Amino acid sequence: MSQLVIKNLEVAVKDKKILRGVTLTVNEGETLALLGPNGHGKSTLLAAIMGNPAFQVTGGGIQLDGQDLLKMTPDLRSKAGIFLAMQYPSEIPGLNSADFLKSAMNAHRQKPMSLFEFYNALQNAYKDMGIPFEMSKRNLNEGFSGGEKKRNEILQMRLLQPKIAMLDEIDSGLDVDAMQIVAEAIEKEQKRGAGFLIISHYARLYNMVHPTKAAVLINGRIAVEGGPEIISRIDADGYEWIKDELGIEIEKEEGGPMNTLSIGSCATKERLNNGKK
Amino acid sequence: MDDIPTSLTYTVNEGENVHLNIVSFKDFSDRTIDIKVLSNGSFEGAFADFSRGNGRFILNIHLIGEGAKCHWSLASLNNGSSEKHFDTSVFHEVPHTEALMSNYGIARDNGRLFFAGVSEIRQGSHKTKTRQESKIIVFDPKAFGRASPILRIGENDVEASHAAVVGRLNSAHLFYLESRGISEEEAKRLITLGYLRPIENFFVDASVIERIEKAIEGGI
Repeated sequence: MSQLVIKNLEVAVKDKKILRGVTLTVNEGETLALLGPNGHGKSTLLAAIMGNPAFQVTGGGIQLDGQDLLKMTPDLRSKAGIFLAMQYPSEIPGLNSADFLKSAMNAHRQKPMSLFEFYNALQNAYKDMGIPFEMSKRNLNEGFSGGEKKRNEILQMRLLQPKIAMLDEIDSGLDVDAMQIVAEAIEKEQKRGAGFLIISHYARLYNMVHPTKAAVLINGRIAVEGGPEIISRIDADGYEWIKDELGIEIEKEEGGPMNTLSIGSCATKERLNNGKK
Repeated sequence: MDDIPTSLTYTVNEGENVHLNIVSFKDFSDRTIDIKVLSNGSFEGAFADFSRGNGRFILNIHLIGEGAKCHWSLASLNNGSSEKHFDTSVFHEVPHTEALMSNYGIARDNGRLFFAGVSEIRQGSHKTKTRQESKIIVFDPKAFGRASPILRIGENDVEASHAAVVGRLNSAHLFYLESRGISEEEAKRLITLGYLRPIENFFVDASVIERIEKAIEGGI
């Protein structure tokens, strides 16, 4: 059984400490909803697990099925079975999407695929994701709309079949139809047995993919961990109750315009805005 | 490129459409090309350079008839210890003329690559459009690149822009590709391919395009 284990993980960006000891486990078949106010380390955690060199791991460990991920470069982590759908996928000038996908898929195999096998897989994946096959001839993410980029991330997840897939705000920029397609793709991977670590600010995606557990990241630590009921509580009440019940003072994001009610929770912000109207 | 004399002068006649395709696989050396474009004439030049050696390539395009246009594209791969200079200039001498000059280069090993050139809009040449793009990726610690395009504008009512970028490979791009299982080496190769390959679009002869493709694959 596949298992991603994060132990006391400490991560810094340019000497600024972001994660201050995160401990989490994601098992095969589990879907973990990762919640928390903006600027408290959710994306940092995912980037560090994937091995983004902009983030320095200063303490703790990450293991996948007993292998030490911290000793591996990002490409080896990918081959070990980790996938990250990025919040802002890079646009790569001049790199044809199909060429890229072929390189990525072949990297995950002992022997390169036949052209026939590759195009079959590619056509099916594009069809499943509701993306015109013509898009495979375009340069990778170049000039793609926000929604197209996000679907393209999920397309890559489908083709690479990871053991643990991490999705960083995959639902931002998606319309309702695209959200449905993405949720269905996630469901297929869940049935295959993949584990998920999902960051989202909206309950809608979570309602569609049924997380098995939830964790709330505050001040670079996991403040609360439990069942999916935490998601609906935060969706309804924001993060204030954590402060009241657990006595955790929520640090404000530096430089951001903040008031005590809208600490980075989009759901709360939306309700505030609606209330004003 | 060996077929081109060290100094070449050519005039694009009224309403004519001229393509110039240059490829260089072996030795780089000094060349000067002067092009004149008459009314409503169009000049489209492309240079795919995979040569080694030292030298200066000078291109001067004079747009001397109203409605004259030019489009120049260069892709240069600089390996070994070559030092290459490309001075690509365009002179808008009359109104209603258009130019796009774009130079893309890669400096590797101890290679030194210099992009310079002037886009000049002479006094009285209103309603002209001109753009210079220079971009160099510096691959290795000892490689060097400099892009210094110059805009000289002597008239109001014109559109002029330039962009010059010299830098190392984008680390976010590398990480994105690596996170999909692609090794660092292969990721660098793919990014470089993407950078040089678009030059093929400007070539007509299929056998030449094939040679360019091989030179790109073999050179990186």
